[in-house]
Amino acid sequence: MSTAQRTAPAGADRTKHRKPPARRRPHRDQRWPASVFLSPWLIGVVALTLVPMAVSLYLSFTDYDLFSAPRWVGLRNYTDMLTEDPRFWRSVGTTVLYVVVAVPLKLGLALGVAMLLRSLVRGRAFYRSAFYAPSLLGASMSIALVWRALFNDGGSVTAVLDAVGLPADGWIGDPDLAVYVVVLLTVWQFGAPMVIFLAGLQQIPSTLYEAAAIDGAGRWRQFVSITVPMLSPVVFFNLVLEIINSFQVFTPAFVISGGNGGPADSTLFYTLYLYERGFTASHMGYAAAMAWLLLLAVGALTLILFRTARSWVFYADEEGR
Amino acid sequence: MPEVRSGPRRPIRRRAVLAAAGAGLGAALSPTLSACSTGGGNSSDGITLRFTWWGNDDRAARTEEAVRLFESEHPGVTVRTSNSDFGSYLQKLATQAAGGGIPDVAQLDYRQVSQYADGGALRPLDADIGDGAIDTAEMDAEFLRTGTSGGEQYALPMGRGITGYAYDSAIYEQAGIPTPEPAWTWQDWAAANREIAALGLRSPDGRPVSGANDGGGNEDVFETWLRSRGGRLYTDQARLGFTEDDLTEFWTFCDELRRAGAIASARDTVQADSTETSPMGRGLAAADFTWDAPFPGYPGLLGDAIHFSPVPSTDGRQGTYFKPSMLLGVGAHTAHPGEAAALIDFLLNDRRAGDILGFTRSTPPNREIAARVAETLTGAEREIYDYARTMERYGLDAPPTAPPRGDIAIKDAFNRTYQRVLFERATPRQAARELVDEANRELRP
Repeated sequence: MSTAQRTAPAGADRTKHRKPPARRRPHRDQRWPASVFLSPWLIGVVALTLVPMAVSLYLSFTDYDLFSAPRWVGLRNYTDMLTEDPRFWRSVGTTVLYVVVAVPLKLGLALGVAMLLRSLVRGRAFYRSAFYAPSLLGASMSIALVWRALFNDGGSVTAVLDAVGLPADGWIGDPDLAVYVVVLLTVWQFGAPMVIFLAGLQQIPSTLYEAAAIDGAGRWRQFVSITVPMLSPVVFFNLVLEIINSFQVFTPAFVISGGNGGPADSTLFYTLYLYERGFTASHMGYAAAMAWLLLLAVGALTLILFRTARSWVFYADEEGR
Repeated sequence: MPEVRSGPRRPIRRRAVLAAAGAGLGAALSPTLSACSTGGGNSSDGITLRFTWWGNDDRAARTEEAVRLFESEHPGVTVRTSNSDFGSYLQKLATQAAGGGIPDVAQLDYRQVSQYADGGALRPLDADIGDGAIDTAEMDAEFLRTGTSGGEQYALPMGRGITGYAYDSAIYEQAGIPTPEPAWTWQDWAAANREIAALGLRSPDGRPVSGANDGGGNEDVFETWLRSRGGRLYTDQARLGFTEDDLTEFWTFCDELRRAGAIASARDTVQADSTETSPMGRGLAAADFTWDAPFPGYPGLLGDAIHFSPVPSTDGRQGTYFKPSMLLGVGAHTAHPGEAAALIDFLLNDRRAGDILGFTRSTPPNREIAARVAETLTGAEREIYDYARTMERYGLDAPPTAPPRGDIAIKDAFNRTYQRVLFERATPRQAARELVDEANRELRP
């Protein structure tokens, strides 16, 4: 997600919005050198992405336990999933709950902090780095382990809650609260969208605010009429990325639930269930089918987001459309 | 992740967002696709064997010591060892098996033998046994059969284990409960738990002490209960040996005791993942169902009042049985079958290795070594040795045949599904139906 430019060629190819090759074609003599320079990337994409994806698609129609050869079962994995497996739907429910709660919270916090930092004159670089740090640490096992310890029975957070008179049992052992431990861990890592918001805020020409102030617009009015529309592409960018990433949350859920999605399947995230089907129960075909369904679902959701975006995202470069 | 570039001020373009979204989607598939492994090989001046096992620190230290002794007797052979906890070990081995890279020598669970042998991941050992490279003269022929699949020997048991019941004798005495004997019943057990809960004892952190850990989510405990009533877990490799009604009865039994506070609470049960974090280990329960090999952890943690006794019976019929606690197998693709066999023979039959390993994997299968080591045993280890002999004399039903390949997943499902009963998300019957459905899907050929 870090560099949109770098991934632009691959991503653009996958979309229907590709524009016809308008630019001049590479000169004949440049083709070979170009292929040579591209080959590390090309080999990587073919060997590590396209071929495994094709194999995964094939496996999703088989019964494959890692030991014997894959056995073709047609659509059985998909029909089992959708009609016979209550845990599949439980994992979908948990994941959707998580996305719906965690993404708005995280983006709201990121935007709020970015707005505060924008108005900060001194020490902005320091605070920006400080708030960004959790995003760098957050993906690690060790942070997830610390988080688990904090919210366990006898953990620090549990002790603090106890001291102020709130329910003092560890959240990890409570099926109604365990998922929010993962939500909190995610929200705490608001640094990455915050940095992007901050950059977006700084791109808004100050002349707009000055003109609005002269016209008598208050801070709220300026926020609604200038900041929000001017920032909407950034909001959209962050929203799409956070949703895609949230559907794939794995490490914190794995560590915090002790690897099994417990208690009582309350932290059984989709990816966790997928992993369990594949690597614990040795049903690689089923796991592959789950992965493809996730890809389709997130792809469809992203498409819908892009459709709705036309009505609320303001692109300065497409003003006349 | 580098910071967003602050180049020339340019509005964000639609295509850039699209591109990033595409890249993010591509990553959606990655969790299933990462699996690889590497084989061992020759080091510059000799042979390198890979040997992996699971177990606690004590077992790791003893195994390392035995392996170092093997190395000193076999110049030129280096043994690269790796140890992990049981859960991640199974996953790691499964991934290695898929890549054709099971270690030269691997410790195996009873449940893995048929799956790995049928899948061609293990090397048959009959030839090594035939030519004496692996000596089995001092091992019980019946017991050796637990390492066979389709009539061929694929693995050798490393230890003979049995389930039992760890309990705090001080609390039992205080409640006036007699010492558990092999003929005590599940009703006696339930009554004992209620009496202990009625004592009103408090744990170190001030919470009530219950009679025992909740065994409802433990497939081993259910199997013990089922066998004591004449049932069994599996009829054959493709069929369950119990019904929804059986499981409903068992889970209702546990559920009622838990609701009455006689056994550990739901939250304490689900947060347990080791001896130390189990309700008994935390001083919240007076007893626990456990295997003999990990039992010494309890007296080590809680003191000498903890003893090892028989699990409850049904009208005197015992459900427990002798089981290979773990086995040793050779990877099918090993480049050094001779050295791998020599290492197995050394670990199982060498006296000094026997002395070093002790009872860390339960009773050694080599009778001579078991008897020899038993003389030196003291404390908790002596107790489990005596317990096994007591149960042998009392008389146990024959062990079941090796569990089918789906059993690893079913054992896991057993614990998970019971958690739905624990947190009242399902009635015992609903949960039992879900488990039986899932088990039948696992066993489907």
